[in-house]
Amino acid sequence: MTDALPPPPSGPPPPAVALAAAPTTGAKLPRPFVAVVGYTLRACLPVKRWFGVLLPCVGALLFGWLTQIDARADASAFADVAEGGLFRLILPLTCLVIGDAVLGADVRSGTFPLTWLSPVPFRVIVAGRWLGGWLVALVTLVPAMVLATLVAGVPEAAGPMAVAAAAGASAYIALFLLIGVLVRRSALWSLAIVLLGEWLLGTPLTGIALVSPLWEAQQAFAGLWEYGDLIARSGMPSGWGAVLRLAILTLVALAIATWRVAHMRPLGGDD
Amino acid sequence: MSVGDDRRAEQARKPMSDVIPPPPTTPPPADPAFVADPTVVCDGVSVWFGPKVAVTELSCSFGPGVTGLLGPNGAGKTTLMRALCGILPTNRGSIRVLGRDPRAQREAQRRLSLVPEDDAVPGAMTARQLVRYAAAIHSVADRNAPEACLATVGLLDVADRRVSAFSKGMRQRAKIAASLVTEPQVMVLDEPLNGADPVQRTALIGLFHTLGDQGRTVIISSHVLQEVERLAARQLVIVRGRLAAAGGHRAIRDALADRPRAVLVRTTEARRLAGDLLASEAVQGVTVDGDTLVVSSSHAGELAALLPVAARDAGARLREVRPLDDSLESVFRELLR
Repeated sequence: MTDALPPPPSGPPPPAVALAAAPTTGAKLPRPFVAVVGYTLRACLPVKRWFGVLLPCVGALLFGWLTQIDARADASAFADVAEGGLFRLILPLTCLVIGDAVLGADVRSGTFPLTWLSPVPFRVIVAGRWLGGWLVALVTLVPAMVLATLVAGVPEAAGPMAVAAAAGASAYIALFLLIGVLVRRSALWSLAIVLLGEWLLGTPLTGIALVSPLWEAQQAFAGLWEYGDLIARSGMPSGWGAVLRLAILTLVALAIATWRVAHMRPLGGDD
Repeated sequence: MSVGDDRRAEQARKPMSDVIPPPPTTPPPADPAFVADPTVVCDGVSVWFGPKVAVTELSCSFGPGVTGLLGPNGAGKTTLMRALCGILPTNRGSIRVLGRDPRAQREAQRRLSLVPEDDAVPGAMTARQLVRYAAAIHSVADRNAPEACLATVGLLDVADRRVSAFSKGMRQRAKIAASLVTEPQVMVLDEPLNGADPVQRTALIGLFHTLGDQGRTVIISSHVLQEVERLAARQLVIVRGRLAAAGGHRAIRDALADRPRAVLVRTTEARRLAGDLLASEAVQGVTVDGDTLVVSSSHAGELAALLPVAARDAGARLREVRPLDDSLESVFRELLR
């Protein structure tokens, strides 16, 4: 059948649509990649989602304040808060809200075909969505985590916290983006992976912790902070080694998501 | 030996496969399901979802101009349109749009656009942002194209309002503008007139005609026969995932009119009227129940003309005349028999 099909028309394209006259005030159109990032910021993160992002950020500040009211009020107190609150709760929950929004929610609502039905390569779509989500994390989560160190009175931890939060958010958003295109109830699955995979299994099993954004982000912080030994975990890379592992996790998750987007049926939740 | 003899001798030496042209694998254009200059070709397409078969062994083609896809709800129109655009993979058969596989070859999307039926539009965006986004991801060069498209569908004045605040008809027009801005050669529109008011309906129909006249392939689905007649000179009727009929207005109308139809008649002289009706060739059978007749006819038009005359001749008063199976779906189903 393929042989018998007509070749693509080689003639000139049909004339332009007889469009109505419009004022010639249109701004320059962005490149496809920039447009995808812009769409992520505008369409995927409506006002409600921003509340969902900002709420845990406020929680981060409260965790920082908890250090102040702790009787120790020193680095060890902040280490406990960072381990139990910032890395175990704030980082994954904020990234879950963002990561689910950038693609999973778009697929569920049935609006993804608008982007899917375009000549933009799938890898560009996935990268643009991830970058949009990561930018949101960089202007909300990362400053909140850094502010938490300042509120806690450990300003020397601000730099390591910024690096760890940015790298952790990168991997987490890529992971939740991937889950968004793999399963329908992506928020539920994402939560299950954090609670069961990272908390429950990742704590005793180093093998799982090695592919966990939570543990890797914490290790990155531990390796870069001068009192990091208080929360460092043995048998895992720390510092920049952990940052590198988070970057690899990000790339692997985005690669799988790209493959999945190419093979999916981008229909709405009702279909 | 003449030159002609040389050629004949040369042909005789060639293997048969070289001498005899290969049989055409596409049906001849005389089949109303196919066009002579196709831009979109469906070859034995089947799509199913688990045990549910949505489209079955469907073969047809589309060419420049407006083609209507007609069929009742659930007939498989939307599934076919999604498959045409590559959103859905075919389980069997193949689809080519401008010679390319729309699912596997992303370049096909450059000259193809879909206006889906569902209300799924990114509500947080304004109409202008939506159309500009569509233009940007299709690498449209003309920066004024989004404004012009919004003006074409009559949304320029409300272009900065969020799409979520739009009525259904306005959302449809926003989607059409987002499709139009990509300058597609093949446009697939799923029930595009849903929710549009009469004025907009007329304007959109005019726009679709213009697009078709420009040499674009415009495929429009609807379950309203009259609507499709206004939209498209060529129509394909799909019922239960199969191609039930194809052709122009008249062919489809004739196919619909010649189906057996049951008509309920309540009258004062039921038995006498039944006798008179049975004498006509247009009537296949009559059942009488009190003052009610159920008349079966395969020529609805003739029956409509005959009934008042027969009632007058029989001295009967007609109290009620109504078709028993005149839902569009029953009409379509009849086409499949």
